Amino acid sequence: MSTTTTGAGVVASVAPVTRRVRAYFAPVNRLAGVPTLFDAAQLGRFDLHAPPAPWIDMGWVSGFTRKCGTKVDALRAGAPAITVGQVRTGVEATVSLAFETWGKLQVTLASGSQQTNLLTTAAGATPNGSGGVAAAPVPLLTGTGPASTATSLNVGAAAAAGFSVGSLVAVDIDYTGQLGYVGTGISSAYVQTANAVGGDINYVRRVTLNVGVVVAISAGVLELASPLPAGVPTAGMQVSQLVGFCDREGASFFQEWSGLFVMPGAQGDRVLVHYPRLQAMQGSTETEEALAAPLESIRLAGAFRALPVKDANDGETVLCFRSYLPAVLRGV
Amino acid sequence: MQNAKDTFYVTLQSRLAALNPARTIVVRGVVRPGTLVEENELPSAAVPVDAFRLQWTGLQANSAGPLPLVAMECSIQYATDGSSGNGSMDRGRLLSAMDAELAAALGAEPHMVPKMNYAAAGAGIAATPMGTNVFWADPVFGAATAVDERLERTSTVQVFAYQEAGEL
Repeated sequence: MSTTTTGAGVVASVAPVTRRVRAYFAPVNRLAGVPTLFDAAQLGRFDLHAPPAPWIDMGWVSGFTRKCGTKVDALRAGAPAITVGQVRTGVEATVSLAFETWGKLQVTLASGSQQTNLLTTAAGATPNGSGGVAAAPVPLLTGTGPASTATSLNVGAAAAAGFSVGSLVAVDIDYTGQLGYVGTGISSAYVQTANAVGGDINYVRRVTLNVGVVVAISAGVLELASPLPAGVPTAGMQVSQLVGFCDREGASFFQEWSGLFVMPGAQGDRVLVHYPRLQAMQGSTETEEALAAPLESIRLAGAFRALPVKDANDGETVLCFRSYLPAVLRGV
Repeated sequence: MQNAKDTFYVTLQSRLAALNPARTIVVRGVVRPGTLVEENELPSAAVPVDAFRLQWTGLQANSAGPLPLVAMECSIQYATDGSSGNGSMDRGRLLSAMDAELAAALGAEPHMVPKMNYAAAGAGIAATPMGTNVFWADPVFGAATAVDERLERTSTVQVFAYQEAGEL
C-alpha cells in the first residue's frame, strides 16, 4: 500500500491571538537543585485541563507580564571609539501575574516565602500569629480496614468522628528533628535548627503542601476532593485538621518552582513559555479589581525571578524557553 | 465574510440546541432549533419569542497582517412573553434561562471553530472546511427592556475571522 501526499495549500502565518494565559507549576527538587524540565517537543500539545505529571494546573491567570532584564552593551574600540561588536553584560528575566483562584498552591506561590497551614489548635493554646500549638494529629491506620490512598485516608471510625464533610486536612510525617528542606513531595520550608521550630511534632504538617478537603466520610475513611499532591501517604504520616492558610512578610524561605505558561492561539497555534527555575521575588501582595462599588475582587499577585539552567543541547546557560507550535498547514 | 458568519451561526445554533433541545421555533412550517439569522429569513414584522435572533451589524477589516482580519459584530436579540400557564409571571425566569444558555454557549471552550464553506452544502453534501478558524470574544449583555408583558434583551459579541486567499 502506498501513501500519496498531496500538495495541500498552506495558509499564511498570522500573529497568535489568545484570550488568556494558563499557568502550570511543578516542584523543584530543592535538595538536589533539580528543576522539572518541560519538553515542548514531546508534550507541547498537551490537554490544557490535564497537564502531564508532575505539572500542577494553577488555572487561568491575568496580568501575565514577562520582563527581559538582559542588558546588551556596545563593545567599542579605537579612537574615536566605534562599536565593533556587542556583549551581554547581564542576563535577567522576571515574571509577574495575578492568580484567578485562591487555592493552597496559588496562595503559597504568591506568598513568596514558606506558607503555613493554620492547624486547629490544642485547647488553651497561647495565641500566635501563624497559629498556636496544634491539636494532636490523627494517625493513619495500617492493617485495619482499607489502606489509605491519595484520595482516601483511613483514620478509623473513632477518629473520623472528629472530622466533618468540608474539613481541611494536612497529611505528612512528624517532625523529629529533620534539618534542611521539609515537606513531602514538595519542599515547603527550610529548617535551620530544631530549636527554631521548637521541636514541634506538627511542624512538617504546619508547612506541608500535602493538603486536601474532606468530601465524604464512610466507615472511618475520609474521602478527599482531589488526590494529595504527594500521592499515597507513606508510613508514619499523620493527619492534622486546619482552618486555613497563613503567610508572613519577612520570612527567610524562598519559594522555587518550575513554571510553564501556555497561551492557546485562536488558530490552533500555541505559545509556551517555560521557566525551569522561578524564585519568588516579592512578599505576599494582592491586586484589587473593582467590580461595582464597594465590591472589589482581590487577586493574589505573584512575581518571580528566573534562575539559570544549562540547556543540554549546547551547554548554554539560559533562564527561559519560549516555544511556538504553529497551527496545521501554516507558513513558516 | 459570509463563510465566517455561516460558521458562527451554525456553531451557536448547535451549542444552544445541545444545551436546551426543547427550545425550538417554527419557521415556514418547519420546526427548527430556536436560533435564526434574520437576514436569512423572509422579512416580517412579527417578533418570534423564546428564540435567539442574530443580526450582523458592525464590521471592521484590518489588512495590516498577511491575512486581512475581519471583526464582525453579531447582535443577538431574544424576547419572551412568559408562559400563558403562569400568566406571564415567569417571564423573568424565562429570560434568565435564555441569558444563561447564551452565556454558556459562547463561553464554552473552545472559543473558536474551523471556518466552513457552506456555499455548496445541502442534502447529502457536507460543508467544506477551510484553512483558518473563526473565533469570538465574550458577549456583552445589554439591559433588559420591558414592553407590556414582553421582556427583551440584546447581547452583542465580536466575531473574528481571517479572509483567506480567494475568499470573498
